[in-house]
Amino acid sequence: MSLPLRSITRTLTRTSRTCHTPSIATTRPVLPQTLRQNVSLTSPRTAVPFSTSPMRSKSRTMGQIRARNATGPFSWKSALLFVLTGAGMIVYFRVEKDRLERKRIAEMSKGVGKPKVGGPFVLKDLEGKVFTEDELKGRYSFVYFGFTHCPDICPDELDKMAEIIDKVKEANKGDNVFLPVFITCDPVRDTPEVLKNYLQEFHKDIIGLTGTYDQVKQVCKAYRVYFSTPKDVKPGDDYLVDHSIYFYLMDPDGDFVECIGRQDTPESATKTIMEHINDWKREGKPLKKD
Amino acid sequence: MGWFSWSSNSNQASDGGRIAPDRTSRQKCWEARDTFFSCLDNNDIIDSVKGDKEARKKCGKEIAEFEASCATAWVKYFKEKRVMEYNRDKTIERIKKEDAATVQDLKSQGWTSR
Repeated sequence: MSLPLRSITRTLTRTSRTCHTPSIATTRPVLPQTLRQNVSLTSPRTAVPFSTSPMRSKSRTMGQIRARNATGPFSWKSALLFVLTGAGMIVYFRVEKDRLERKRIAEMSKGVGKPKVGGPFVLKDLEGKVFTEDELKGRYSFVYFGFTHCPDICPDELDKMAEIIDKVKEANKGDNVFLPVFITCDPVRDTPEVLKNYLQEFHKDIIGLTGTYDQVKQVCKAYRVYFSTPKDVKPGDDYLVDHSIYFYLMDPDGDFVECIGRQDTPESATKTIMEHINDWKREGKPLKKD
Repeated sequence: MGWFSWSSNSNQASDGGRIAPDRTSRQKCWEARDTFFSCLDNNDIIDSVKGDKEARKKCGKEIAEFEASCATAWVKYFKEKRVMEYNRDKTIERIKKEDAATVQDLKSQGWTSR
């Protein structure tokens, strides 16, 4: 502010000097005008008169700077927006990453051309009707291999299966998108009647499947289940069957998706299953519900 | 005990299958097994197949109850499983000890956990 003021004074003196000649009377009224013009040019925003001291105007600018610093680009609003956007992005990327990872696993399990786990089979259900892999299609199926004379692991796993069935049903709001299946590895002892009584103790929704020795051997092979049932058992023989103790989650196309094992709790298993079902729905693929 | 007397026809299903132990008989069998095994624990017997004589001498009542409540195949399975689990736990313990020793050794040589 001090500089323009000085220049005004200089112009003032200069004008007064040049204006000394022809007549003073005519030049006189011009003086205040030039002065006023000069003032308005140098500090356009101020209606501030000359009396304004440089000290005061300086402190005012500082005040403005301070105010801008306090509220400027880093207000709490923008900070909140920043944090929320960041958190949103992190959550989104995590969800996407998980989804892609699951998809990768599902795709990987499909193999190339021929499915690695699962495939065609012919068995019969507990009413004696023929049951093939086609019956599993259109829904997610949950396949378990076992035998009714199993000492401790199968009953534990079937109790877990019952819990999973209820939890998945609840998560799907009652939609019938999930088929729990029990295939016996021991067809000689596990006839439809025996299986029916056995499975009723666990969950009424479990579909029990049995067949001839060769049919069962074939389905075990398709699902890569270790099959050690003795072929020629005499009536009354007491024996155990070694078998795999995994649940196989199969998608509505009949392709293997993932294994649920002994280490899974009903909660973690339900979570895994629901993630796959929801992925399937999100991709808009068909899913039977009735 | 009708469930486990396999030779009799009482557990024969009408379509030729063999009726499996139901929840109640399974529970009964497991309880008898646990009682028998805790008796073995008290007498420091791990393998009741090899140490059959000793097991019968020390836990006569328990083994009789166990064998009466469970199918023969189950009895054998549980006895073998006990040995298997014992060996498994011992192996895990040994590996853990070895790991701890290795860590100690490395630390003494100036390694840090990072």
